[in-house]
Amino acid sequence: MSELGYRQILTQPRDHRIAWWAALAITIHIVESALPSPIPGLKLGLANVVVIAVLMLYGWRDALWVALLRVLVGSLLIGTFLTPTFILSLSGAVASMLALGIAYYFSRLLPNWALGALGYSVLAAQAHMLGQFTAAYLLLIPHPALFKLLPVLMTAALVFGVISGMIATAMINNVEKRAHSGTSG
Amino acid sequence: MLRRGDYLVFLATLLLLPWLYFTLWGDQRAGAYAQILVGGDQQALVSLHQPQTIEVEGALGLSILEIVDGKIRFITSACQGKQCIHRGWINLGGEVVSCLPNQVSIAILGGEQRFDAINF
Repeated sequence: MSELGYRQILTQPRDHRIAWWAALAITIHIVESALPSPIPGLKLGLANVVVIAVLMLYGWRDALWVALLRVLVGSLLIGTFLTPTFILSLSGAVASMLALGIAYYFSRLLPNWALGALGYSVLAAQAHMLGQFTAAYLLLIPHPALFKLLPVLMTAALVFGVISGMIATAMINNVEKRAHSGTSG
Repeated sequence: MLRRGDYLVFLATLLLLPWLYFTLWGDQRAGAYAQILVGGDQQALVSLHQPQTIEVEGALGLSILEIVDGKIRFITSACQGKQCIHRGWINLGGEVVSCLPNQVSIAILGGEQRFDAINF
Protein backbone atom coordinates (compact mmCIF):
# COMPACT_ATOMS: atom_id res chain seq x y z
CA MET A 1 0.00 0.00 0.00
CA SER A 2 1.31 3.43 -0.84
CA GLU A 3 0.80 6.58 1.21
CA LEU A 4 -2.09 7.61 -1.02
CA GLY A 5 -4.01 4.48 -0.08
CA TYR A 6 -4.00 2.61 -3.37
CA ARG A 7 -2.01 -0.42 -4.21
CA GLN A 8 0.78 0.33 -6.62
CA ILE A 9 1.10 -1.94 -9.61
CA LEU A 10 4.71 -2.60 -10.34
CA THR A 11 5.47 -2.99 -14.01
CA GLN A 12 7.96 -5.57 -15.05
CA PRO A 13 10.43 -5.20 -17.94
CA ARG A 14 8.26 -7.73 -19.77
CA ASP A 15 5.25 -5.37 -19.52
CA HIS A 16 7.26 -2.53 -21.03
CA ARG A 17 8.49 -4.79 -23.80
CA ILE A 18 4.97 -5.95 -24.62
CA ALA A 19 3.67 -2.39 -24.54
CA TRP A 20 6.48 -1.24 -26.81
CA TRP A 21 5.88 -3.95 -29.41
CA ALA A 22 2.09 -3.61 -29.16
CA ALA A 23 2.41 0.14 -29.78
CA LEU A 24 4.42 -0.63 -32.91
CA ALA A 25 1.81 -3.16 -34.09
CA ILE A 26 -1.05 -0.72 -33.40
CA THR A 27 0.70 2.06 -35.32
CA ILE A 28 1.23 -0.18 -38.34
CA HIS A 29 -2.36 -1.43 -38.07
CA ILE A 30 -3.77 2.12 -38.10
CA VAL A 31 -1.57 3.27 -40.98
CA GLU A 32 -2.58 0.21 -42.95
CA SER A 33 -6.28 0.71 -42.26
CA ALA A 34 -6.05 3.94 -44.27
CA LEU A 35 -5.16 1.96 -47.41
CA PRO A 36 -8.16 1.00 -49.56
CA SER A 37 -8.99 -2.67 -50.03
CA PRO A 38 -11.00 -4.38 -52.79
CA ILE A 39 -12.67 -6.90 -50.44
CA PRO A 40 -13.25 -6.37 -46.69
CA GLY A 41 -10.75 -8.42 -44.75
CA LEU A 42 -8.29 -8.59 -47.62
CA LYS A 43 -5.20 -6.65 -46.66
CA LEU A 44 -1.50 -7.08 -46.30
CA GLY A 45 -1.60 -7.49 -42.51
CA LEU A 46 1.74 -5.85 -41.83
CA ALA A 47 0.91 -5.65 -38.11
CA ASN A 48 1.35 -9.42 -38.11
CA VAL A 49 5.03 -8.90 -38.93
CA VAL A 50 5.37 -7.55 -35.39
CA VAL A 51 3.51 -10.54 -33.92
CA ILE A 52 5.82 -12.97 -35.77
CA ALA A 53 8.92 -11.07 -34.65
CA VAL A 54 7.76 -11.11 -31.01
CA LEU A 55 6.95 -14.82 -31.31
CA MET A 56 10.45 -15.61 -32.57
CA LEU A 57 12.23 -13.29 -30.11
CA TYR A 58 10.21 -13.70 -26.87
CA GLY A 59 7.79 -16.59 -27.30
CA TRP A 60 4.12 -17.27 -27.82
CA ARG A 61 2.67 -15.69 -24.67
CA ASP A 62 4.17 -12.29 -25.46
CA ALA A 63 3.04 -12.62 -29.07
CA LEU A 64 -0.51 -13.36 -27.89
CA TRP A 65 -0.50 -10.20 -25.78
CA VAL A 66 0.72 -8.11 -28.68
CA ALA A 67 -1.83 -9.62 -31.08
CA LEU A 68 -4.80 -9.11 -28.76
CA LEU A 69 -3.72 -5.60 -27.72
CA ARG A 70 -3.32 -4.72 -31.38
CA VAL A 71 -6.92 -5.79 -32.14
CA LEU A 72 -8.40 -4.12 -29.05
CA VAL A 73 -6.50 -0.81 -29.00
CA GLY A 74 -6.38 -0.59 -32.80
CA SER A 75 -10.18 -0.89 -33.02
CA LEU A 76 -10.67 1.65 -30.20
CA LEU A 77 -8.45 4.17 -32.00
CA ILE A 78 -9.95 3.60 -35.47
CA GLY A 79 -13.45 3.54 -34.03
CA THR A 80 -14.45 0.05 -35.10
CA PHE A 81 -14.66 -1.45 -31.60
CA LEU A 82 -17.47 -4.07 -31.43
CA THR A 83 -18.40 -3.49 -35.09
CA PRO A 84 -18.35 -6.35 -37.64
CA THR A 85 -14.83 -5.25 -38.65
CA PHE A 86 -13.69 -5.74 -35.07
CA ILE A 87 -15.33 -9.17 -34.85
CA LEU A 88 -13.63 -10.26 -38.09
CA SER A 89 -10.31 -8.87 -36.90
CA LEU A 90 -10.60 -10.56 -33.50
CA SER A 91 -11.59 -13.95 -34.90
CA GLY A 92 -8.70 -13.76 -37.37
CA ALA A 93 -6.26 -12.90 -34.59
CA VAL A 94 -7.56 -15.67 -32.31
CA ALA A 95 -7.37 -18.28 -35.11
CA SER A 96 -3.87 -17.25 -36.13
CA MET A 97 -2.63 -17.21 -32.52
CA LEU A 98 -4.05 -20.71 -31.99
CA ALA A 99 -2.26 -21.97 -35.12
CA LEU A 100 0.94 -20.20 -34.07
CA GLY A 101 0.66 -21.66 -30.57
CA ILE A 102 0.40 -25.20 -31.92
CA ALA A 103 3.29 -24.60 -34.34
CA TYR A 104 5.40 -22.91 -31.65
CA TYR A 105 5.13 -25.77 -29.16
CA PHE A 106 5.54 -28.30 -31.97
CA SER A 107 8.78 -26.51 -32.90
CA ARG A 108 9.97 -26.74 -29.31
CA LEU A 109 9.16 -30.45 -29.09
CA LEU A 110 10.85 -31.30 -32.37
CA PRO A 111 13.66 -28.76 -32.88
CA ASN A 112 14.68 -30.55 -36.09
CA TRP A 113 11.33 -29.69 -37.61
CA ALA A 114 11.12 -26.17 -36.18
CA LEU A 115 9.50 -23.39 -38.16
CA GLY A 116 11.24 -20.17 -39.18
CA ALA A 117 9.71 -16.71 -39.50
CA LEU A 118 8.52 -17.42 -43.05
CA GLY A 119 6.72 -20.62 -42.07
CA TYR A 120 5.08 -19.00 -39.02
CA SER A 121 4.04 -16.05 -41.11
CA VAL A 122 2.42 -18.11 -43.90
CA LEU A 123 0.70 -20.30 -41.30
CA ALA A 124 -0.56 -17.27 -39.38
CA ALA A 125 -1.84 -15.58 -42.54
CA GLN A 126 -3.74 -18.69 -43.62
CA ALA A 127 -5.22 -19.28 -40.16
CA HIS A 128 -6.10 -15.57 -39.87
CA MET A 129 -7.97 -15.70 -43.18
CA LEU A 130 -9.76 -18.94 -42.28
CA GLY A 131 -10.84 -17.61 -38.88
CA GLN A 132 -12.03 -14.37 -40.39
CA PHE A 133 -13.84 -16.19 -43.18
CA THR A 134 -15.57 -18.55 -40.74
CA ALA A 135 -16.74 -15.60 -38.63
CA ALA A 136 -17.94 -13.78 -41.75
CA TYR A 137 -19.85 -16.85 -42.90
CA LEU A 138 -21.40 -17.71 -39.53
CA LEU A 139 -22.23 -14.19 -38.33
CA LEU A 140 -22.46 -11.84 -41.27
CA ILE A 141 -23.19 -13.51 -44.62
CA PRO A 142 -24.41 -17.11 -44.16
CA HIS A 143 -24.70 -17.71 -47.90
CA PRO A 144 -23.00 -20.62 -49.69
CA ALA A 145 -21.86 -18.29 -52.50
CA LEU A 146 -19.33 -16.85 -50.04
CA PHE A 147 -17.30 -20.06 -50.42
CA LYS A 148 -16.52 -19.06 -54.01
CA LEU A 149 -14.31 -16.32 -52.54
CA LEU A 150 -12.37 -18.63 -50.26
CA PRO A 151 -9.80 -19.93 -52.80
CA VAL A 152 -8.92 -16.36 -53.86
CA LEU A 153 -8.70 -15.17 -50.27
CA MET A 154 -6.47 -18.09 -49.27
CA THR A 155 -4.18 -17.47 -52.26
CA ALA A 156 -3.92 -13.82 -51.25
CA ALA A 157 -3.19 -14.92 -47.67
CA LEU A 158 -0.32 -17.10 -48.95
CA VAL A 159 1.21 -14.20 -50.90
CA PHE A 160 0.76 -11.76 -48.00
CA GLY A 161 2.14 -14.34 -45.57
CA VAL A 162 5.31 -14.74 -47.64
CA ILE A 163 5.77 -10.95 -47.86
CA SER A 164 5.20 -10.48 -44.09
CA GLY A 165 7.52 -13.40 -43.36
CA MET A 166 10.32 -11.85 -45.38
CA ILE A 167 9.89 -8.52 -43.60
CA ALA A 168 9.78 -10.31 -40.22
CA THR A 169 13.01 -12.19 -41.05
CA ALA A 170 14.79 -8.91 -41.83
CA MET A 171 13.35 -7.33 -38.67
CA ILE A 172 14.46 -10.20 -36.41
CA ASN A 173 17.98 -10.16 -37.90
CA ASN A 174 18.19 -6.44 -37.26
CA VAL A 175 16.97 -6.71 -33.66
CA GLU A 176 19.41 -9.55 -32.94
CA LYS A 177 22.30 -7.65 -34.51
CA ARG A 178 21.55 -4.60 -32.33
CA ALA A 179 21.22 -6.82 -29.26
CA HIS A 180 24.65 -8.34 -29.92
CA SER A 181 26.35 -4.99 -30.57
CA GLY A 182 24.99 -3.74 -27.26
CA THR A 183 22.78 -0.84 -28.40
CA SER A 184 19.11 -1.08 -27.76
CA GLY A 185 16.65 -0.69 -30.63
CA MET B 1 17.31 -19.14 -43.53
CA LEU B 2 14.45 -21.55 -44.23
CA ARG B 3 13.98 -24.30 -41.70
CA ARG B 4 12.51 -27.74 -42.25
CA GLY B 5 9.24 -26.78 -40.60
CA ASP B 6 8.82 -23.99 -43.16
CA TYR B 7 8.83 -26.54 -45.97
CA LEU B 8 6.09 -28.47 -44.14
CA VAL B 9 3.95 -25.32 -44.03
CA PHE B 10 4.59 -24.62 -47.73
CA LEU B 11 3.76 -28.21 -48.66
CA ALA B 12 0.51 -28.10 -46.69
CA THR B 13 -0.44 -24.78 -48.30
CA LEU B 14 0.38 -25.95 -51.81
CA LEU B 15 -1.82 -29.01 -51.26
CA LEU B 16 -4.64 -26.99 -49.67
CA LEU B 17 -4.93 -24.32 -52.37
CA PRO B 18 -5.50 -26.53 -55.44
CA TRP B 19 -7.94 -28.60 -53.40
CA LEU B 20 -9.88 -25.45 -52.48
CA TYR B 21 -10.01 -24.30 -56.12
CA PHE B 22 -11.05 -27.74 -57.26
CA THR B 23 -13.83 -28.29 -54.72
CA LEU B 24 -15.19 -24.75 -54.49
CA TRP B 25 -14.83 -23.64 -58.11
CA GLY B 26 -15.64 -26.93 -59.83
CA ASP B 27 -18.98 -27.09 -61.60
CA GLN B 28 -21.43 -28.76 -59.26
CA ARG B 29 -24.33 -28.36 -61.63
CA ALA B 30 -23.35 -31.02 -64.15
CA GLY B 31 -25.86 -33.84 -64.40
CA ALA B 32 -25.09 -37.55 -64.43
CA TYR B 33 -27.92 -39.00 -66.53
CA ALA B 34 -29.95 -38.14 -69.61
CA GLN B 35 -33.58 -39.11 -69.88
CA ILE B 36 -34.67 -39.66 -73.47
CA LEU B 37 -38.36 -39.19 -74.14
CA VAL B 38 -40.45 -39.85 -77.22
CA GLY B 39 -43.87 -38.26 -77.09
CA GLY B 40 -43.73 -38.02 -73.32
CA ASP B 41 -42.79 -41.65 -72.67
CA GLN B 42 -39.34 -42.43 -71.34
CA GLN B 43 -37.46 -44.31 -74.03
CA ALA B 44 -34.12 -44.68 -72.23
CA LEU B 45 -32.15 -43.45 -69.24
CA VAL B 46 -28.48 -43.26 -70.13
CA SER B 47 -25.34 -42.30 -68.25
CA LEU B 48 -23.53 -39.19 -69.51
CA HIS B 49 -20.20 -40.75 -68.57
CA GLN B 50 -20.41 -43.43 -71.21
CA PRO B 51 -19.65 -42.08 -74.71
CA GLN B 52 -22.09 -43.45 -77.25
CA THR B 53 -24.45 -42.58 -80.07
CA ILE B 54 -28.11 -43.41 -79.63
CA GLU B 55 -30.68 -43.83 -82.35
CA VAL B 56 -34.22 -42.87 -81.44
CA GLU B 57 -37.26 -43.44 -83.60
CA GLY B 58 -39.54 -40.40 -83.36
CA ALA B 59 -42.85 -39.41 -84.92
CA LEU B 60 -41.26 -38.36 -88.25
CA GLY B 61 -38.22 -40.59 -88.36
CA LEU B 62 -34.80 -41.18 -86.91
CA SER B 63 -33.02 -38.87 -84.43
CA ILE B 64 -29.40 -39.60 -83.56
CA LEU B 65 -27.99 -38.43 -80.24
CA GLU B 66 -24.34 -38.33 -79.19
CA ILE B 67 -22.89 -38.53 -75.68
CA VAL B 68 -19.26 -37.40 -75.14
CA ASP B 69 -17.50 -36.24 -71.93
CA GLY B 70 -20.60 -35.95 -69.78
CA LYS B 71 -22.64 -33.97 -72.33
CA ILE B 72 -25.25 -34.86 -74.91
CA ARG B 73 -26.56 -33.38 -78.21
CA PHE B 74 -28.65 -34.12 -81.26
CA ILE B 75 -26.52 -34.85 -84.32
CA THR B 76 -29.23 -35.82 -86.79
CA SER B 77 -32.93 -35.31 -86.75
CA ALA B 78 -35.72 -36.07 -89.15
CA CYS B 79 -37.37 -32.72 -88.48
CA GLN B 80 -37.47 -29.64 -90.76
CA GLY B 81 -36.17 -26.79 -88.59
CA LYS B 82 -33.24 -28.64 -86.92
CA GLN B 83 -33.71 -26.45 -83.84
CA CYS B 84 -32.74 -29.39 -81.68
CA ILE B 85 -29.37 -29.74 -83.45
CA HIS B 86 -28.70 -26.01 -83.18
CA ARG B 87 -29.31 -26.16 -79.43
CA GLY B 88 -25.94 -27.91 -79.20
CA TRP B 89 -24.48 -29.67 -76.17
CA ILE B 90 -26.30 -29.81 -72.84
CA ASN B 91 -24.86 -31.13 -69.58
CA LEU B 92 -26.31 -29.24 -66.59
CA GLY B 93 -28.97 -30.68 -64.30
CA GLY B 94 -32.44 -29.61 -65.44
CA GLU B 95 -31.44 -28.70 -69.00
CA VAL B 96 -33.73 -29.92 -71.75
CA VAL B 97 -33.49 -30.11 -75.57
CA SER B 98 -36.59 -31.10 -77.41
CA CYS B 99 -37.43 -31.66 -81.00
CA LEU B 100 -41.15 -30.91 -81.13
CA PRO B 101 -41.79 -32.07 -84.72
CA ASN B 102 -40.16 -35.42 -84.11
CA GLN B 103 -41.42 -35.55 -80.48
CA VAL B 104 -37.97 -36.54 -79.16
CA SER B 105 -36.63 -34.77 -76.10
CA ILE B 106 -33.66 -35.13 -73.75
CA ALA B 107 -33.67 -34.00 -70.12
CA ILE B 108 -30.59 -34.02 -67.89
CA LEU B 109 -31.06 -35.58 -64.48
CA GLY B 110 -28.88 -35.19 -61.39
CA GLY B 111 -26.65 -32.28 -60.46
CA GLU B 112 -27.75 -29.07 -58.87
CA GLN B 113 -31.06 -28.14 -60.49
CA ARG B 114 -31.18 -24.63 -61.84
CA PHE B 115 -34.94 -24.61 -62.45
CA ASP B 116 -37.87 -26.06 -60.59
CA ALA B 117 -39.90 -26.54 -63.74
CA ILE B 118 -39.81 -25.62 -67.41
CA ASN B 119 -42.90 -24.90 -69.46
CA PHE B 120 -42.98 -25.04 -73.23
